[in-house]
Amino acid sequence: MKVLKKVLRKILNSLIGIGLFIGKIWKHKKGKIGLILVALLAFVAIFAPLIAPFDPYDVTERAAKGLSPSWEHLLGTTINTGQDIFSMLIYGTRVSLLVGLVTGIAIAFLGAILGIIAGYVGGMADNLIMRIVDIMLVIPTLPLTIVITNLFGKSYFIIVFIFVIFGWTGLARVIRSLVLVLKNSNYVKASELAGGSRWHIMTKHILPGVSHLLIMNTALTCAGIMVAEAGLSFLGLGDPTAISWGKMLAEAQSGGALLFGHWWWIIAPGIGIFIAVFAFMRIGLVMEEILNPRMKASSGIFKLFKTLNNTYIQEVFDGMNEEVLTTKEGEIS
Amino acid sequence: MSDVLLGLKNLKVIFPAQQGIVRAVEGIDIDILKGECVALVGESGCGKSVTSLAIMRLLNTPPALIEVESINLGGDEITKYSENKMQDVRGKQISMIFQDAMTALNPVMTVGKQIDEVFIKHNKLSKKEARIETIKALRLVGIPEPESRAKAFPHQLSGGLRQRVLIAMAFACMPKLIIADEPTTALDVTIQAQVLEVLRNMQKSHNVSLLLITHDLSVVAHTADTVYVMYSGKIVEKAKVEDLFREPHHPYTEGLLGSIPRLSDTTKHFVQIPDSVPHPMFKPTGCYFHPRCKYATDICKEKMPPLVRLDNGREIRCYHPINFSGGENNE
Amino acid sequence: MQKSFIIKRIIYAIFIFFVVLTLNFFIPRLGVDDPAERYYPPQGNMSDIEYEIIKQVTREQYGFDVSTFKQYTNYVEGLLRFDLGTSFRTGNPKVSTLIAERLPWTLVLSVSNLVISLCIGLIFGTVAAWKRGRWQDSLLLNLSTISVALPAFFIALILSFYFGFELELFPAYTNPNMVSQFDWSWEAIKVVFFNAALPIISMSIGGIIGYSQRTRNSVIAVTNEDFVLTARAKGLSQNKVLFKHTLRNAMLPIVTAVGMSLSGLIGGAVIIEQIFNWNGMGTLFLEANNTNDYPLMMGIMLFMSTIAILANLIVELTYSLLDPRITVGEKR
Repeated sequence: MKVLKKVLRKILNSLIGIGLFIGKIWKHKKGKIGLILVALLAFVAIFAPLIAPFDPYDVTERAAKGLSPSWEHLLGTTINTGQDIFSMLIYGTRVSLLVGLVTGIAIAFLGAILGIIAGYVGGMADNLIMRIVDIMLVIPTLPLTIVITNLFGKSYFIIVFIFVIFGWTGLARVIRSLVLVLKNSNYVKASELAGGSRWHIMTKHILPGVSHLLIMNTALTCAGIMVAEAGLSFLGLGDPTAISWGKMLAEAQSGGALLFGHWWWIIAPGIGIFIAVFAFMRIGLVMEEILNPRMKASSGIFKLFKTLNNTYIQEVFDGMNEEVLTTKEGEIS
Repeated sequence: MSDVLLGLKNLKVIFPAQQGIVRAVEGIDIDILKGECVALVGESGCGKSVTSLAIMRLLNTPPALIEVESINLGGDEITKYSENKMQDVRGKQISMIFQDAMTALNPVMTVGKQIDEVFIKHNKLSKKEARIETIKALRLVGIPEPESRAKAFPHQLSGGLRQRVLIAMAFACMPKLIIADEPTTALDVTIQAQVLEVLRNMQKSHNVSLLLITHDLSVVAHTADTVYVMYSGKIVEKAKVEDLFREPHHPYTEGLLGSIPRLSDTTKHFVQIPDSVPHPMFKPTGCYFHPRCKYATDICKEKMPPLVRLDNGREIRCYHPINFSGGENNE
Repeated sequence: MQKSFIIKRIIYAIFIFFVVLTLNFFIPRLGVDDPAERYYPPQGNMSDIEYEIIKQVTREQYGFDVSTFKQYTNYVEGLLRFDLGTSFRTGNPKVSTLIAERLPWTLVLSVSNLVISLCIGLIFGTVAAWKRGRWQDSLLLNLSTISVALPAFFIALILSFYFGFELELFPAYTNPNMVSQFDWSWEAIKVVFFNAALPIISMSIGGIIGYSQRTRNSVIAVTNEDFVLTARAKGLSQNKVLFKHTLRNAMLPIVTAVGMSLSGLIGGAVIIEQIFNWNGMGTLFLEANNTNDYPLMMGIMLFMSTIAILANLIVELTYSLLDPRITVGEKR
């Protein structure tokens, strides 16, 4: 019971922490857009069967091949198979979001663990981890993914697996360099002197120290992964039975969308990718701004300067004017 | 008043921000005579560095807004100078020594090259001629083996040597005025003394005026001729250095002096000034110092005291000045 | 830069090369015991004996008839002679020959992409940093969010659709005769330029914005440094401050970024090449994948890795030339 209580409290605490962080992003005008879009995507992905007007897998409706957008088929139908493009778009959200989130979270775990170990434990462990990073960096990811899918078959499981195996390196490096800074901070040293175990310091001091950077990187990783997933699906390396935006683009190209001028067939999945990636990017960038305000672009100072009331500024300046009195030393009181 | 080298009149600097206006410098006058060393003293955040950058016209606008009646350098009004003309003034007539030589020197350029640039720009020398001058300049500030040190990168030199390099760079063209912004703060105490010694010797032997910006009165005592004490963007006291140390008139100055430990002082504890400088956006009413002043009365809370110029040249901004040895109104 | 530093880096690069080479040898042998089965998958209408014979022939032909360890040493030995193995294609061409044929065509795309992205990106980034907070800067920030969210292959499809099919300005598919008829004549170069336009544009849009953003951040970070103030206090002109002090330091992270793109110089264009039917390394790889041509796939992979290792090595050495603070094995 005690353990359960402890675990529950921990989960609650971290949920509150995440909630507070989301609140911070929500306050940001740009962050709000990102959060709303992510919520919308999640809603669409979960309730896809209810939202989609047609069965996107249905290829039997041959009479309705290559339709232009209409009220019935909002984005028309495919030229070769007569599938409803709007319904495909809705279902495509699932793959994109699932692959992006699962990979992003897995990378966050692996990257954080290995980055913290490399940075805090150092020595042999650090050496080993960084050597592996060096090797990972020179292996071409896309060709390797193609080879692996050729060997073990095509599925999103394999794609996620490869993304995770190759994706943690960047995050681990970033986390490691921050951990190296934290390691020399006074509070970590104080904890060490007080006899805190390595495990205690890593979980209680280092992990909270890197958590913001971790969340920010996870949001950006999700965005990057969704682009990469679209690319792999475009090459036909995803699950052949699933509907994904990347695959839709490939089908549009091979199905003659370019040739017959069915631009909506290309634009639709493109916009899907755009919205999903944009939403996560926005969240990540807003977090970056919160973490590192020095880099902020619209520092507002220029807008501020334009709106400055010149008479007010003049008043401020004039208010500083004053007379200098002259007097003899003896007369001062 | 022909021997005034730099006449700064009524300098005001503000920084508009979303939440309000930061009043960094609120109309200060500084006169620096030829060959004189003037110290500008105050706690961090009181507007000292902003003042020095404003004199060099190096403050970026935006974010800063500046109003100044006059910056007169040896008879020339430099407020009206174009940026191009100002570039000829910087380094040639006024130069600057910054606080932390580690960050103030370009890490990817040899220190020799960085000094060469000054000669190439202002004396129109070739690279070779400039290097000869650079080595002379380095030798002048007491850097051993200047030929090889000129080829070193900043990170290869010790902190003391780096600071000497900055001094050599500032004195390169023998400008009329050198502004030293906390030149020794980043150094160890023993090195501090050496560097100050170099700075003072260079200043005296070449008859250059020096504006020394510091929070450390012990540095002032050894170096300066005249002292301006600044508090929260205003000058609160001006005096010759001996006068100031003998009888500080402003309670703030007294507090600053009290914070210097003295061996001879066996009876008293440190006198400390409670609290810290007010935030420049939320300054108190009346005298800015009154919340921290033990002499404060009601008038101090209501009205900013005027700056009073005494006939012996001292200036004081206080309703309750202290330490008048000869006067009737000794506290 | 110390000699020992260079030697250390080179030895390390060789070590990485051997690890990658070993991985490269073993990965295709995962899952299947007999490499011959890769070449010749079992077919239904064939008796077991027939299949055994065919496999035996294959083994001898491609050197699979010896122990795995011996195969490995043979592989390494071959590599020392720059022999990447033999393709399963008809006529059994050498993998290295196939790569040599296709490499220049990929380089046409990727090198132009890198040069264009870098040059324009540096200029845009510096301008944005210079005009920090003004419209140029905000525009760049917004564009960079948008460009990441628009994958290059989507841009490629749009460009191919609009300029290729609708306006018919540029070819939407590469002229199949471009490679075979190339003879260094002015006309042939023009054809290449014409065909490469769309692929290069679709690749470099993201690159330009990426480099701009990096340059901007880097320049701003350096502008806040004290030594820039020192340089201005010396009376240097704005141009001198920018070029000799700010940009020189701001270049350091850009060098790393260029190194990263050098690693992707050959493998980075797979999807774009596929869309435009461009006869480069990417399409070669996809062809190899479609025909289960493992020696060719692994040869290309190893080649790409080697380029990446060399690129990293060059970046490290350049970096230590540019930044005197780098000492042995220590990065800023």
